[in-house]
Amino acid sequence: MKTFQSFITLFLISSLSNALVAEEMDHSKHQMNNMENIESMDHSKHQIMDHSTHANMDHMGEMEGMDHMHHNMSLDAEGMVMNSNDSKLPEDCKAINQTYNITVKAGTKYSVDFPGTIFGYEKHELQVEPCSLLNITFVNEDHIRHQWMVHGLPKYLYPQGMFHLEAAGGAQKSGSFIVPSDNKTYLIHCDISQHMEKGMKAQLVVGKGNGDLPSIPGISGAWINPN
Amino acid sequence: MKKIFLLLTLTLPIAFYFTLPFHWLPDNIKKQHYKLFGLPAYQSLESSRKTKDFDIEDKCPVDRKHWRQATKLDGVDIEASKTCLVDNPALIAAAVKGTNNVDPMVLMESRLTPDAIVKGRDLDGDGDPDEIHITLEVMELNGSSPDYNEEIASYDIAPGIRPGMWVFAPKSFGMSTENFESLKANPLLRAPSPSIRVEQGDKVTITLENSHYMPHTIHLHGVDHPFVDENGEGNDGVPQTSEVPLMPGMSRSYEFQPRQTGTMFYHCHVQPQVHIMMGLQGMLIVEENRPNNWLETINVGAGHVRHRSVASKENYDSEYDLHYESIDKELNNRIKESNDVRKTTKSMHRDYDITDAKNDYFLLNGKSFPYTAQESIIVTKPNQKIKLRILNGSDEGIALHTHGHKFTETHADGVLIPKAAQVTRDVGWIAPAQRADYLVQTVNDGLHSYGEGIWLMHDHVEKTVTNDGIAPGGSGTAIVYEKYLSEGGFPLAMGVDWNRFFIADYYKKNIPVWQSYDENNFFADTVKEPTYALRFALMIFIWTLWVFSLTQVIRR
Repeated sequence: MKTFQSFITLFLISSLSNALVAEEMDHSKHQMNNMENIESMDHSKHQIMDHSTHANMDHMGEMEGMDHMHHNMSLDAEGMVMNSNDSKLPEDCKAINQTYNITVKAGTKYSVDFPGTIFGYEKHELQVEPCSLLNITFVNEDHIRHQWMVHGLPKYLYPQGMFHLEAAGGAQKSGSFIVPSDNKTYLIHCDISQHMEKGMKAQLVVGKGNGDLPSIPGISGAWINPN
Repeated sequence: MKKIFLLLTLTLPIAFYFTLPFHWLPDNIKKQHYKLFGLPAYQSLESSRKTKDFDIEDKCPVDRKHWRQATKLDGVDIEASKTCLVDNPALIAAAVKGTNNVDPMVLMESRLTPDAIVKGRDLDGDGDPDEIHITLEVMELNGSSPDYNEEIASYDIAPGIRPGMWVFAPKSFGMSTENFESLKANPLLRAPSPSIRVEQGDKVTITLENSHYMPHTIHLHGVDHPFVDENGEGNDGVPQTSEVPLMPGMSRSYEFQPRQTGTMFYHCHVQPQVHIMMGLQGMLIVEENRPNNWLETINVGAGHVRHRSVASKENYDSEYDLHYESIDKELNNRIKESNDVRKTTKSMHRDYDITDAKNDYFLLNGKSFPYTAQESIIVTKPNQKIKLRILNGSDEGIALHTHGHKFTETHADGVLIPKAAQVTRDVGWIAPAQRADYLVQTVNDGLHSYGEGIWLMHDHVEKTVTNDGIAPGGSGTAIVYEKYLSEGGFPLAMGVDWNRFFIADYYKKNIPVWQSYDENNFFADTVKEPTYALRFALMIFIWTLWVFSLTQVIRR
């Protein structure tokens, strides 16, 4: 029940107004036709139930939390790129509309303008046209790991709906993804414990977007716990 | 009309009398009341909720991945571990071979980064690497979010109990949570900070990547290390004497080449009354230098050592790292109050006063009972020699007591105690930050062991057998003989039903203490008098009505 609630909470933060929630529901219903999606849904449910047990999968190959295994992923000492895709079009796009080459810098120094935060991106908002190809270069200017993850992408192209760049301290990583045609605002964050909460949070606005996400430095306030 | 008011003025005091809680009346009036109306009838209490009314957690999940059995992974021998929850063999293999040498698939499964544990050259030519480079990050558990009221990177120390914590964690890749849908911390992010094992004479570098939002350092307590490193930089981790603390986003390396062996300690030395107590502390063990001595460099969550040193295998049948910690929820939950780092910093380092503090939770290897029963029990056969390396990371002493056994303290703070001076006893006092190595022998001679069974092992400072005052809880665990262990790894206890301990509501005081065997509800919770509020409302109503009637009657 608890995990279900957290799922809902997370679901809600990615879409603020009621109308948006409805849109989101339709969207996922539509996606349910896709086998891959159903599979990944089951899988994530399984993982939620699984949590601290260390033990619910069927063979050694599938370790706990290693949902990463199902992703298109490359890992080295410099970091990680997950679900990079510069060619497969979303179902609702006939062609790539525009190509953006974006460099995103990350580090503690980008939090200076937002008192109370510690971590930050150089850009906390990106705006692109629907059906665009985004070539992202993520530059980590700190001496620790940072991530630039986008959530809510179509699951049939991006397992768990996720595009993920992780760069070790002082390193940079590049990857690409193609956004669908609908007006939507996507969550971008660093999932290292407390990095998002302490400022490393941004949004990707596709087309007109569908409303600002909460607690984005310089853009929006907190949703529940205003400081 | 006036007649009605007169009637009311006369009758309302009687009504008022009956609305009074009966036990408020003086005894002589009660007596008169009983004479007039007879003794009150028996009123039964409502029965309390039963254990079956609650969701019970899985006490001992089935080991579908076969992690418990003895195995060999990427050439690394891993001993069987018989408790319910055990370490991932891939993690052990990566810790032994080094993240630079281990098979890439095993590394992926371990979730460590390729530079987490780098093992270099064999400097003394004895068949094992002597250049060891470990990278640690700082992770927050049960932290807060500005956007929802639930702990993120959540970590239960016992059912439903999630105090905020900070830990050192081996450098890992990917999300801090299990996945995007889950708020639970991934398995590498847990308390206590990992046990670190190096060999005597190894050239060790520990790099701290401060991934947390506050400044930190590492102090190598009891470990032979120089005050300054080769470049003359501070190497002791003490802000007042060695170095300016490491700011968020920065990294620093600590270097040492230990000449002495023993069970030691590492911890953050920034505002230690807060940072050590938040969980920035771990065990650091220097093993004897032996040929082909490949060590399990980090033991995540401490506990059973499944790939032991050469010396341990020569002298003992099994080895455990037991790390005791305590938590004052008044401190640890301050990280949940705000997401403004300035406010959190002030709250923890200025408003919190440890001289007024009392501990609420007591952890063994990052968990409290009943979770200690899932992963921290010491499983043994008769006639075994078990090595316990114990660190007291609490700010209070622990009085460690073994049921059914008398242990021998062999080492104090890592130093061997001369044989003649070694004491065999059943309560060991361990001061804060002290380490003690105990030898437990399961020889049934009435001294070292009284025979097979499930024998508790707990701190006898009685508050430590509770979770914030609710027993059983705290840092207690047990020495369990295989005969008394289920196939799945849970103690075959013969006393009360354990299910209720795996219910969050038990520790929220919603299940009566003896519920599981009190069939007649002799000790059920009494029902709070729900009539009170109604009664008071009625009393006030009657009183005002009476005053009103009286004024009407008097006015004429």
